Amino acid sequence: MINFLLKGLFRDRSRSLFPFLIVAAGVMLTVFLHAWLSGALSSMIQSTAHYRTGHVCVMTKAYSEKADQVPNDLALLAIDTLVMSLRQRYTDLFWTPRISFGGLLDIPDEKGETKEQSPVSGIGVNLLSADSPEWKMLNIRPALVRGQLPSQHGELLIAEELARKLHVQPGQKATLITSTMYGSMAYFNFTIAGTVRFGVGPMDRSAIIADLADMQQAMDMQQGAGEIVGFFKDDLYHEERANAIARDFNVANLKPSDKFSPIMGTLRTVSGLADYLDYVGSFSGIILTIFVVAMSIVLWNAGLTGSLRRYGEIGLRLAIGEETGHVYRSMMVESLMIGIAGSMAGTAIGVAIAYYLQVHGFDIGSMMKNSTMMISDVIRAQVEPFTFVIGFLPGILATFLGAAISGIGIYKRQTSQLFKELET
Amino acid sequence: MYIFKLAFRNILGAGLRTWLNVVALSFSFVAIIFLQGIYTGMNDQVEQATIDAFYGGGQFWEKSYDPYDPLTLDDAHAPLPASLEDLVKSGQAAPLLIRPAAIYPEGRFRTILLKGIAPQQNVLSIPSSLLKDGEGLIPALIGTRMAKSTGLHKGDELTIQWRDAHGTFDARTVVIADIVRTSVQEIDNGQVWIPLDQLQSLSAMPGHATMVVLKRNTQPPAMLQGWEFRSLDYLLQDLHAVVRSKRIGGSILYLVLLFLAMLAIFDTQVLSIFRRKKEMGTLMALGMTRWSIIELFTLEGGLHGILAACVAALYGIPLLGYIARTGWELPGAADTVGFAIGEKLFPTYSAGLIVGTTVLVLLVTTIVSFLPTRKIAQLKPTDALRGKMS
Amino acid sequence: MRRLLWSIAVLISSVCCGQTPRLPQGASGDEILKKVDLNMFSENKIILSRMIIHGERGSRTVEAKSWQRGTRESFSEFLAPARDKGTKMLKLQDMLWTYSPSTDRTILISGHMLRQSLMGSDLSYEDMMEDPHLPHLYTATVSSEEAIGGRLCWVLDLAARKEEISYFSRKVWVDKARYILLKENLYAKSGKLLKTMDIREVMEVKSHWIAKSILYKDALKEGEGTEFFVDSIVLDTTIPDYIFSKAALRK
Repeated sequence: MINFLLKGLFRDRSRSLFPFLIVAAGVMLTVFLHAWLSGALSSMIQSTAHYRTGHVCVMTKAYSEKADQVPNDLALLAIDTLVMSLRQRYTDLFWTPRISFGGLLDIPDEKGETKEQSPVSGIGVNLLSADSPEWKMLNIRPALVRGQLPSQHGELLIAEELARKLHVQPGQKATLITSTMYGSMAYFNFTIAGTVRFGVGPMDRSAIIADLADMQQAMDMQQGAGEIVGFFKDDLYHEERANAIARDFNVANLKPSDKFSPIMGTLRTVSGLADYLDYVGSFSGIILTIFVVAMSIVLWNAGLTGSLRRYGEIGLRLAIGEETGHVYRSMMVESLMIGIAGSMAGTAIGVAIAYYLQVHGFDIGSMMKNSTMMISDVIRAQVEPFTFVIGFLPGILATFLGAAISGIGIYKRQTSQLFKELET
Repeated sequence: MYIFKLAFRNILGAGLRTWLNVVALSFSFVAIIFLQGIYTGMNDQVEQATIDAFYGGGQFWEKSYDPYDPLTLDDAHAPLPASLEDLVKSGQAAPLLIRPAAIYPEGRFRTILLKGIAPQQNVLSIPSSLLKDGEGLIPALIGTRMAKSTGLHKGDELTIQWRDAHGTFDARTVVIADIVRTSVQEIDNGQVWIPLDQLQSLSAMPGHATMVVLKRNTQPPAMLQGWEFRSLDYLLQDLHAVVRSKRIGGSILYLVLLFLAMLAIFDTQVLSIFRRKKEMGTLMALGMTRWSIIELFTLEGGLHGILAACVAALYGIPLLGYIARTGWELPGAADTVGFAIGEKLFPTYSAGLIVGTTVLVLLVTTIVSFLPTRKIAQLKPTDALRGKMS
Repeated sequence: MRRLLWSIAVLISSVCCGQTPRLPQGASGDEILKKVDLNMFSENKIILSRMIIHGERGSRTVEAKSWQRGTRESFSEFLAPARDKGTKMLKLQDMLWTYSPSTDRTILISGHMLRQSLMGSDLSYEDMMEDPHLPHLYTATVSSEEAIGGRLCWVLDLAARKEEISYFSRKVWVDKARYILLKENLYAKSGKLLKTMDIREVMEVKSHWIAKSILYKDALKEGEGTEFFVDSIVLDTTIPDYIFSKAALRK
């Protein structure tokens, strides 16, 4: 019977195509919305992930307890082996070491003496290897205002506003005065390669970005780093996977008695964003529920009207002696088929669009006044396992229910009336 | 007018189908308004909380004060000019003195900002009245984030070291009078609040302040020598930039909901035109022009939108009104993250939002209703009467 | 460090004290302090010192050579560890410049940088900048007598004479026989103890007593403090003028 019905659906497009299109469109919207909301949730914590904690973050136990004070005397040492083992063991993440620091940026006059000085806060990241994930994570390229990107050791990026305050141009020299991890005064000469716009007040007024190797040298931290951050390769925060990785790492590496043993935390635990994530999660849950309910009504209605438009056909089938129950059942199976086909097609299209937006993002740069590092110009969707499922709820259930309710009318049809109806 | 009557009768006659469509459409209305309301409410609350806690109605900064340059803090204090002094006396402004200081949580040196605020002030929402006498010790307030990062609790004692106006070290033990559950980072992170008069006298800066915060809607005195006025617009510019960027992302949501409305109407319209060919033929036979029929069907679609608006108003106003009154409870301590919202989120529905959304949805439903009806223009009455589309 | 160096100088002053008549029993605090100051004063001196700094990750030893003229001029060059070798500091009046050979830059240390710890020690740059003449800054009263390491001491309470001063009050233990400080506590305006200095070892140089080992500690911070050792000291020697110039930093 299913074959027979399928043939019917294929051959009589008026019966199947329009309901199919409506279901597919509805499901596509639902799927897209889910992926979009997931992406929005991720983007809200994106700058925290990119600038502070990564999706997961390895620090020494002691450093992690005072992380907000940036205690570089408690930093990780011998990170090369650690980074290598992380890269080998957890291959679906990028691993990259970072050093956060504070200090003074001193601009010399022509005699090499202090002309301008300003307190700065900075991060040392891997800027010089072309495959460094930092370019993407820190969104550096689009945020460049003047000058160029660092291409060799000793080059530095500074916030545009800071550069203006210090009256420096790209190409000029600057000396960073900070402390080594042992507390000694540290000096390091940089050339200002370019200026960037962060988009967040405090950073625009005081932030600098240096190469990790330069900072290791400046701060006497050979093979050292404050933290090693890990980013999922799709740049989306997958909480369960992050938790599993952190658990696995800590079981293998964390020694409670050793304050310098490495410990891994997730974005959720390290950033203190746990409550915020819950809150935004429940917010998007509500949006999604409202939407799915509304879409279900639309598709239910579509199922309902889909059956009603076949009023004449049903009359005829009843008139030539088809059993009422059989007509009803065949209508149900047909609606189920349309529901499944529409949901599958809708999910496929929705996921495809969402995936495109996950990879390429939706560039709102043209709508923003200026490109900045902290506020990304690109909004992304995020396809999650649930994205593949969510469309089936309104797609199949609502269509089926709509057909089921409208089909009840079949039982109310009077045989005596049928021929009369057919005559008209 | 008869077309309107006819359209209205037709859609009411369709019974359940019409009402299902109307309910689905009304969901779009309510959802768009609710979500935009929540979004606006959230931004308003962030802004309001920041204004209440720190920005007030704008601030006068001592001329050398730069909040982003700690080097300026040493010198950023001065006695209040008479006009500001008058505002303070009349409760229209609150002076704050900010000094760089150090604390030693767990024996490690950490720099902080020591801020003095008058316990009796009512300009800012900081619960400064909690800064009561600490039984010989200076009472101090800190925010939740500061408490977390330093491991301090209410009643704990903390040694703070700073220098007075002459450069002399002072170190006092303060007692944490309370932890302020705030989400406004500007009053929390790396800061300790103590009574203004004590900080002034301990710092040998009697009557001095680093900034004076005006009460909301207080007219700032004209140019003051040695002080710069920072308006609310200036203070809020960073916050506004973030909100702007988020708004573009939020509009996608708006668009998806509009699509939902379009889908509901489109489906109904296509079906109506398909099913009601005989009716169209009859109407044409009775002398109605094609465009009148297009008008009729478009109007029917549009009426769905109007009915939906009425239905949405019927349940939406009490529902959204209720949420706006009671607020939306946030889980746990959502504000520990420094996102400046309180424990409850109150959506804000502006008249512009409601009218704008209604007009937009009506417009969209009318356009979507019209699109499938264009087929009618090619309809031959003879075919139509036999139920065929030419 | 400057403060430390002066503390050492105070100890050195005991050398002179040994040559001057002892104060009578019942001498006033100010008299004792003047005596200490008078004895500690030396026009020029060159000191070779070591500082052992205890940090979270073990200890480091910093070696330096310092030239001092009067109370307002000093020049120091770090000799070890290798990383800090060649780093120089020049103090002229209230200004402090540093020079680092790796950057070939002369940098003025100002503002909050002065409050930073000196090379990770329990001393700050500000401590270096203080006027070392205690009688200029404080009035002293004898509060009691105590023995420290078997040496009988006057315990003097020092109260600030003027407002522009880092430490509002101090308590010093003066060796009654040698007129050297054996211990010093520095207090905030509130009376809270901020820093302590303990002389743990003294040495005799050319029949004079000089501190050999001092433990300096920030009382508010956790840790073992900073140990300071004087390996050699030359008093009243000739120091060329160019040493106390910014040009010397780059030499």
